[in-house]
Amino acid sequence: MADGVATAHNDDEEAHVSSATEANKDDLGFLRDAVRTLPPQILKDLLSNGVCTRCIFRLLILHEEICSRPSLSTPILSAILHELTEHEGDGANSSAGETKDLIDTEHVQDFQEEFRFCRVCLGILQFVHNDDKGMLMKKHRASDFAAAIGDAVKQDGHNFDSFSLEVSLPPIVDVNEQAVWSYIKKKYGSQPWFREKYPSESIAVKDFLKLSVTNPLEKLLDVKSNESSFRIRLTYTLSDASAMKQPIHESNGCYKRRKCKSKWLRCAVDDLHLKREQNDIDFIKNSAGLHKVERHEPSRNSSIESGDDGTGFLAFPIEKVIQCCSLNFQFYKTPIYVGGRYLKYSRNVSQTRWIIDDERMGEASIEEIVGGNILPICQGDSYKFHAAGREDIDVRMLGTGRPFLVEIQNARQFPSDELIKDIEMKINNLESKFVRVKNLKFLGSQGWELMREGEAEKQKQYAALVWISRPLNNDDVQTLSSPKDMQILQKTPIRVLHRRSPLEREKTIHWMRIERIAGSSHYFLLHLCTQAGTYIKEFVHGDLGRTHPSVGSILGCRAEILQLDVTDVKMDCFQA
Amino acid sequence: MKELNPISEFKQDPETSHENCDPVLHSSSVVTSQDSKIEEKQHNEEEQEQEEEELRRLLLPKVEDLPDTPPSAVEANFTTFLLRDFMKPGHDQYIRRHANGLCVIGLAPTHVAFKDKGGITSVDFNVGKSDRSGIKVTGKRKKNAQHFESNTALCKVCTGDASYIVRCCVKGSLLEVNERLIKQPELLNTSPEREGYIAIIMPRPADWLKAKASLLDFEQYKKSRAEP
Repeated sequence: MADGVATAHNDDEEAHVSSATEANKDDLGFLRDAVRTLPPQILKDLLSNGVCTRCIFRLLILHEEICSRPSLSTPILSAILHELTEHEGDGANSSAGETKDLIDTEHVQDFQEEFRFCRVCLGILQFVHNDDKGMLMKKHRASDFAAAIGDAVKQDGHNFDSFSLEVSLPPIVDVNEQAVWSYIKKKYGSQPWFREKYPSESIAVKDFLKLSVTNPLEKLLDVKSNESSFRIRLTYTLSDASAMKQPIHESNGCYKRRKCKSKWLRCAVDDLHLKREQNDIDFIKNSAGLHKVERHEPSRNSSIESGDDGTGFLAFPIEKVIQCCSLNFQFYKTPIYVGGRYLKYSRNVSQTRWIIDDERMGEASIEEIVGGNILPICQGDSYKFHAAGREDIDVRMLGTGRPFLVEIQNARQFPSDELIKDIEMKINNLESKFVRVKNLKFLGSQGWELMREGEAEKQKQYAALVWISRPLNNDDVQTLSSPKDMQILQKTPIRVLHRRSPLEREKTIHWMRIERIAGSSHYFLLHLCTQAGTYIKEFVHGDLGRTHPSVGSILGCRAEILQLDVTDVKMDCFQA
Repeated sequence: MKELNPISEFKQDPETSHENCDPVLHSSSVVTSQDSKIEEKQHNEEEQEQEEEELRRLLLPKVEDLPDTPPSAVEANFTTFLLRDFMKPGHDQYIRRHANGLCVIGLAPTHVAFKDKGGITSVDFNVGKSDRSGIKVTGKRKKNAQHFESNTALCKVCTGDASYIVRCCVKGSLLEVNERLIKQPELLNTSPEREGYIAIIMPRPADWLKAKASLLDFEQYKKSRAEP
């Protein structure tokens, strides 16, 4: 297999064939035996109608035999099939002695000259495609195709210890599959060898491709394939099959597997799929010679038995293919997470980048400071910042800090513990001193589990600098400190009423504690612990009586809040 | 408020922090391992104490920097406009506009109703075609909100002698009326600019710009009061 790895694009066919014959004599014998069990009639039929050898083996449920032998080349498979069908025509059985003659170079080249794109798989299982520069690429063996993928992976420079292969095909392949099954069923459905297992046990083009390529790719990359965080995606598209279809095909596949976070996005994707399928049907209707499928949805509907014209002659339902697919390789990592707690020391720094009409609000953002320092270490493409709640721009985050996650897209590097310490140090020693991070941790791909737990019932602790319109007395200290788990009713504050729903929400003030400030009788520090989602500023000044009770209404005077700081977000994650 | 002092004591000694994160490195014997554990514990406690001290230092303001009377939330967050003799003499109303565009409507201190003996004794939102307090506006998009003109009646305030119609003053959607006034009309007398507000209206930006031209700002209002 080693010399097969040579990836020169102009493969020397002779070299391949000869090396294959030597290495795989046993395979060939085995395969020949397997093929002999198949009804020759259908072999010949499919072969003469431009179905490629791998699709034939696939349709006739010999995929395991083929896929487990990735070094079998297309010409050899072709030779075996022709050999058998020809012999059948002669009415003679082939013997072991004849095979050597058949698989000689001359014979194989004959088949090569009349190369046609498979009508079912459009050449995908012939390992033929256009590369991103539009060059026609042709491999004879699954192992060679795997080698090409392997080279591209290596060039991309990712670090990984396993991979998973994703394949995305143009929808027309599915439609072809339906059509060819409908044809086979109609023509051979009454034959004794045709059993129900036929359509159900055969595998799709996509799965065949994965099955053939995965093993050699595992050997090449020297890692196993599984549900990995490293994804190799092969996207096949038809570039100009139909001008009308082009824009839809451009986006084909990109949407299909991506995990959408929001519901509306998912709806949009479903919609797109629907449209696309509709479009495919239209396309089939418009193209000539496909009248057999036109009334059927391209869904898994194998009851395509009606519509027989009764003449006995059945035209092959799929047209000749003149153009093969373009293939695009993509390599990406599922996102990784770095988590921790952040402290915000400035009243002019927002949590997330906040730009209105090209004008930045505040001097900087936590998101950019933290994310911007983590991203280059992980060598990712981009980052997203997530936090357990947020504070206003003029509120500091002190004390225990607030849990956050930085999601790194397509990270090429998993940071070591030391590297994480370095990042933490670097952020904490920035000249601006806006932000500090604590307990920074690398979380791999499991980031959300930590953040999700206990998020709903989390409590928060604050320190507010409060002024009241009369001097504070000892009774006031008592009045404010004694209630435990006090319920308050809070109408949506006026300051956010323009963008939030007008509602009255019940919130709990778990406890309050007054800390007097030496030298002032009107000012004090109010420490309080509340249910998440309580608007503290409004709880102090009362928001025109729309939050009730409020500090002002409890003390029976006017209360104003001058400063607010979050001192604790009571969640388990990233405590130490 | 002034920003408190910037933070300067974050630089952890790199050696101690390293020791802290990986105590096993120092455990060449059982004894030293125990020692380092105790050390670590002490170190943690110290660190915690330091952090608490730091937090207190950050939270406590400098008394000399604090104003005797700070600006109120209303003064700080709203711009006040006034309308004198709206539709009728003595019908003075205020419009307090928040930076987000919402307008709080209420009675100006010079409103004629306050001059009646005993002040305002009841508030009735059942004016015009519908009861203004009966409509529940819901959702971010403020479904059900009624769109009113500047001269649409919001409510009727009654004193011992007479009743007066309070109007929207600006064209816009009525988001809410102050229902507390139904049971506690005295809030209008005691705190007309805060708990005694009448309603909250959301004008469209273009409508606001038009309406603004006919309103007095607070300075103009003060001047107009001085004049006979």
